[in-house]
Amino acid sequence: MTDLAPAATETVAPAIPAPRGSAGSAWLKWLARRIGLAILTLWLCSVLVFFATAALGDPVRAILGKDYASSPERAAALAAALHLDQPVIVRYFAWLGGLLTGNLGTSIANGLPVGELVGPRIVNSAVLVLSAAIVMIPLAFGIAMISAHYRGDRPDDVIQVVMITLAGLPEFVVGILLVALFSTTVFHVLPAVTIAGGGAPPWSNPASMILPVATLVIAVTPYVSRIVRSSLLEVLDSDYVELARLKGVPERVVMRKHALLNAIVPGIQVIALQLAWLAGGVVIVEYLFFYPGIGALLVDSVRNSDFPMVQVLAMVIAAVYVGVNLIADILSILFTPRARTAISS
Amino acid sequence: MRQVDPWRPSRRDILKLGMAAGVAGLAGCSAVPAKPDQNAPQLRGGSYSHGSTGGGLKDTLEPYFPVTNPDIARCLQLYEPLLRWNAEYKIEPSVAESVMPNRDNTQWLVRLRDGVEFHHGKTLTPADVMFSLAKVTDPKKPGSGGTELAKFLDLKNSKIVNQNTIVLQLSAPYAVLDQLLAEYTVGILPTDFDVSHPVGTGPFTYQRFVPGQLSQFNRFDNYWDGPAFLDELIIYDFADDAAKVNALLAGQVQSIDNLPSYVVNTIDQQGASPLISDTGAWVPFTMRVDVAPFSDVRVRQALRLIVDRQQMIDQALNGFGILGNDLYSPFDPVFASDLPQRVQDIDQAKSLLAQAGQSDLDVELVTSTAVGAGAVESANLFVQQAKLAGVNVRLNKADPNVFYGDRYLSWDFAQDFWNTRNYLPQVAASSVKGATYNETHFEDPKFTALIDLAKREPDANKRKELLHAAQVIEFNTGGFIVWGFKRQLDAYSNLVQGLQPHRYLPCSNFGFKRASFVAPPT
Repeated sequence: MTDLAPAATETVAPAIPAPRGSAGSAWLKWLARRIGLAILTLWLCSVLVFFATAALGDPVRAILGKDYASSPERAAALAAALHLDQPVIVRYFAWLGGLLTGNLGTSIANGLPVGELVGPRIVNSAVLVLSAAIVMIPLAFGIAMISAHYRGDRPDDVIQVVMITLAGLPEFVVGILLVALFSTTVFHVLPAVTIAGGGAPPWSNPASMILPVATLVIAVTPYVSRIVRSSLLEVLDSDYVELARLKGVPERVVMRKHALLNAIVPGIQVIALQLAWLAGGVVIVEYLFFYPGIGALLVDSVRNSDFPMVQVLAMVIAAVYVGVNLIADILSILFTPRARTAISS
Repeated sequence: MRQVDPWRPSRRDILKLGMAAGVAGLAGCSAVPAKPDQNAPQLRGGSYSHGSTGGGLKDTLEPYFPVTNPDIARCLQLYEPLLRWNAEYKIEPSVAESVMPNRDNTQWLVRLRDGVEFHHGKTLTPADVMFSLAKVTDPKKPGSGGTELAKFLDLKNSKIVNQNTIVLQLSAPYAVLDQLLAEYTVGILPTDFDVSHPVGTGPFTYQRFVPGQLSQFNRFDNYWDGPAFLDELIIYDFADDAAKVNALLAGQVQSIDNLPSYVVNTIDQQGASPLISDTGAWVPFTMRVDVAPFSDVRVRQALRLIVDRQQMIDQALNGFGILGNDLYSPFDPVFASDLPQRVQDIDQAKSLLAQAGQSDLDVELVTSTAVGAGAVESANLFVQQAKLAGVNVRLNKADPNVFYGDRYLSWDFAQDFWNTRNYLPQVAASSVKGATYNETHFEDPKFTALIDLAKREPDANKRKELLHAAQVIEFNTGGFIVWGFKRQLDAYSNLVQGLQPHRYLPCSNFGFKRASFVAPPT
C-alpha cells in the first residue's frame, strides 16, 4: 500500500500568482508551466532510470551470469548490441532519442521489439486500472457520504471497522480469499484466473475480470473513503454548512451540493496516487490472477537483466505517476474556487 | 528424531493457498467431480489447457536450447528424438526402430521407422537425422543435448547406408550412445527447419506462441504412434503457484506441473488428483575433495554419517522423496543397490573426526533458494544434525547471482541440483576430470580408469561389474552427500484421464498425447 494517504489532504496544488491578464491566458500559462514541470520530472526520471540500469556495473556480466566466462563470443555480441563501446553520455542520448521517436529497442531476453512486448501489456494494465477506478470512485464516495451522515452512530462505527480491517489486509490475501470463496473452494461460479481462450486479451472473458477488479477495489476503497469521509466531516462542521442548514436547506442537498463538492479535492488527490500505484505496483495481484499486466512483465525483465525492457517499463510507470498527478492537480484547481480565481485574477 | 507429519501445512502455507484447508468443510455445498476411471475407453476431442510452472520472456521454441520449464513441455509436443525414455526410465524406440552398437561401441547402426511424417507433410529420411545431429553438435553453438555428443560423434565419417539406415561413427568408444540419443534435446528436425514455423514429428503441431504467456498446438493427425485424443492443447506459463493451483481447481486448466507439496491433500478433496512419480532427481551437498578439511576422506565420511536422511526427506521434501545412499542414478540397471544403506551414526562420525584431528570442526555451507525446492531446508537440517556430532556449520544463504556467480563450482561446501540421469552420462557431467559441473573436484585415477573401461565394454554384464566397482569408490570416498531423490508432484483435473506417473519429466513426461477428457456422465 502507499503510505501517501495522510499527505494527500495537503497536496492541493498551490495557486500560482499570475500577472493580471485575461483569465484564459493566465490559465494557459499555468497549464504550460505545470506541463513543463511534468516534462522536467520525466526527464530527471529518464536520467535516473538509464544510469541506474545501464551505466552501473557491467550489464553484459549481469545478463550472462555464469556463462560470461565460458562464452566470450556471446559477451562480445551483447556488448555490441548494447553499444557498450560508446561513451555513456552518447548511449544515453541515443536511448532518449529512441524513446521520444518511438524506437524502443529490442528485448535482450528474446530479441523481439520492446514496443511489441510492452504495448499489449500497457493496454491490459490500463483496462484493469480503469475498471477498478470506475467501480471504486462512486463506491468510495458513497461509503464516505453514508459514514459522514451517520457520524459517530452505529452505521458509521460498523463502516469504519470494516474499512480499517480491509485496509489492513494485504491485497493478495484479499485476492486469495475471493478466489477460495467464488472459484475453488466454496462456490465454483467465477473463473480463478484471467485465461481467455487462445491468448485473447483478458477482458474478452469479462467474468474473469471480476475477481481481479474486485480485489483492487477492496484494496483501494478504504483509503479513499476514509480520506473523503474526514474531509466531509470537516466541511460539515464549517460555518457555511451550518448557515445552509439554518436556512432550511434539506440535509440531503447540504450533503450533495455544499459538502461533497468541497470535500472532493482531497479525494481526487488520493485517488490519483492510488491509481498510479495500481498501474505498476500490483505485481502480486497480477501473478495471483495470471493477469498479463506491466507489473509482472517488469519483474520478469528485471530477473532476466533485460535492460531495454526495464528502462521502458520504468519510464512508462513514471509517466503514469506524473500524468495522473498532473490531471489530479488540474481537477483540484477546477474544484477549488479560491485557487481558480487566484490563477485567473 | 522429531516426528513431523509431512501432510501438515505450515501457517504460511495455509495463508498462501487461500485458507483452502480451513474452508474445505464448507465445500460440501458444491459438487466436485469424482476420480476418473483410468481404464475407461478414451474419448476423442476437446481443447485441453496445461498450466506450466515458470517461463517468461526468455521462452523459446528453439528445439535444442530449451531454457524454461514450459520450453521443455513444448519440445516434447513438437519434436521427437530417435529413441525415448518410457515411464520406467528405460529406453524405447521412437522415430528410430533400433540403434545398435558394433562390438567395441565405436559404430552405431541407426534404423529409421518407415513412414514417419513431419508436420508439414515431408517424410523422415536419414538426411534429416544427419542434419539434426550436425545442428545439435554445431561446434559454434552446441545445443544442451549436443555438448556431450560432440565430444565423440564423428559425423564426417558417419554414412547414410540406404533410405532408412545410418551408421554413426564415433571417435572414441561410447557404450551408452543410445542414452544420449533419447534426450528430448536431440529431437529430429527436417532439413528445411525454420524456428518461426517450427516443425517436427511430435504428436502436436505448432499454432501460436506468446513468450511468457502461452503456446497453442493442434493434434497431428498423421502422427506415427497413433494420433492424440485432444483436438487442441494450450500450455500456459504460470509464475505463481497459487494462481496455478487455483486455475486447476476452478477448472480453467486440466493439469499443472510441479504441484506444491503442501496442497497435495487439499486438492484431492476439490476435484483434482495429484500425480506422484518417483524420479532420480537429487539435491546433494557437495564437498570439494581437494580442499581442507574435506580433502581428508575421514571428514567426508563423517559428514555423510551425520545426515539423518529420513528426516531430510520428511521435512525438506514434505515426505515426497526416496532414501539416498550417497550414490546417484537409481534407475540405471547398473545402480549399486546392494551397498548397505548409510544411516545416521553420530558415534562413528565423532570417532572419524577425532582420527582426522577435526573434533571441533567448523565449516561454512553455501546454499541458495536458486538451487530449488528442498535445498535451503535440507541445509538448515544439516546445521542442526551436525551439532549432534559437535560440528559447527555456518550457513551462508547466497543470492542466486552470487551462488551461480564466479565461485559456482568452486565453493568448498555447497549444494547443487541434478535431474534424473543414468550413471555414465551423470559421471561425464559431474564426476571426472574435465566434467562441466564437477563441483566436488573428484578425479580419482582408479575411478576414471574404470569409467573409461566401461565406456568401451560391449558386454552389459561386464560393464555392470566395472561400474559397480566405480560406485564402491564413490560410496567410500566421494564428495557428494546424496540424502534422497525427489518425488515429482503434478496434478490433473478429475475431468481428464490418461496421465500416468513417469520417472523422467513432469506431468507424465508432458505426455498430453495420452490425455483425454472423461466421458460426460450418462
